[in-house]
Amino acid sequence: MNAEFQLKLQAHFDGELSGPEAQEVEAALASDVEARALLAELRNTCGALAGFESEIKLPEAREFYWSKIQREIQRQEQGQPVRPTPLPWWRRFLLPSGAFAAVAIAGLLAAHQIGWLSGGARAPQVEIFLADSGAMTYRDELERTTVVWFSYPGENEFADATADDTIQ
Amino acid sequence: MTELATTVADDKPLVQAAQEGDMVAYEQLVARHRDKIYARAYSMMRNEDDAVDLSQEAWVKGWQRLKQFQGEASFATWMTRIVINLCLDQLRRQKRHRAESIEVMEEESGGVERHMPVVTVNPTERLERAELRQRIDQALGQLSEAHRTVLVLCEFEEMEYKEIAKTMNCSIGTVMSRLFYARRKMAGLLADLKKSE
Repeated sequence: MNAEFQLKLQAHFDGELSGPEAQEVEAALASDVEARALLAELRNTCGALAGFESEIKLPEAREFYWSKIQREIQRQEQGQPVRPTPLPWWRRFLLPSGAFAAVAIAGLLAAHQIGWLSGGARAPQVEIFLADSGAMTYRDELERTTVVWFSYPGENEFADATADDTIQ
Repeated sequence: MTELATTVADDKPLVQAAQEGDMVAYEQLVARHRDKIYARAYSMMRNEDDAVDLSQEAWVKGWQRLKQFQGEASFATWMTRIVINLCLDQLRRQKRHRAESIEVMEEESGGVERHMPVVTVNPTERLERAELRQRIDQALGQLSEAHRTVLVLCEFEEMEYKEIAKTMNCSIGTVMSRLFYARRKMAGLLADLKKSE
């Protein structure tokens, strides 16, 4: 039995041959004891392997195994760049309009502050001291008056939350 | 209805729900097929940790590609192909770090398996399931990765030669040769294990 025939016999066993080649192997099997022995060996080996994998079980608990898969899926989904949804036409129009309106309002307020729109008279100033964002100062230069608001009466030593005269 | 047909039919609503983003349905699919997917990874890698990691990676990939699953094959078969490809990639990466095994060189140059005496007695006859499993496990562990892979794809996955060649990126002739060697080596190893008792 040469090497080529051995492989042909195996191919026949695996159902890979058809027609004349299969008939050739069948004829050889009828007359060749060695070929029959090799075929029996192939059958025994494959028979032993059948069902082998069904005995292999995952060594981890179901919850633990799944939790790692779930975490990885969620991690990868969060890591994916989010594709921005296209804006509707009216929002695309509103965005530059809004920006223009904001600039215009800021300009008007600035003009008002320096007196262009109030006949040269300076408007009262409202100041917020950043060092204490809870306090706001109002100063009117014409009246020479300063009013200070505190937004946290309970924590202020000059304010009493229960006093009726506390300005909040 | 056969067990396989029942499983395929039962999987369908779960697969559809998972394709719509239902992760609870996908978890049920994992619970149903996790042993099979792990077993395939273990047969190829021969290492529990690698098999657990690769099978989990396969489930992650399965979720990501779920929309591509059209149902031509069963869901379990589709998932098995994913884990096989991951194992082959891992084996190729590992192989780059070491030389090709002597066994593969012998087999590809017309090795010793052709002259091995035929094992006439069935070495696994009358064995208990646990003992048989242990013996096959030992014998599989002694095969080279290339021989074990071709055996797994043919015996467990029931792939045709053409499909194995495509999966392993080699010729049909190489598949036939490796498969013949792997089977003969297995027969010899199983017989040796019986003798050494």
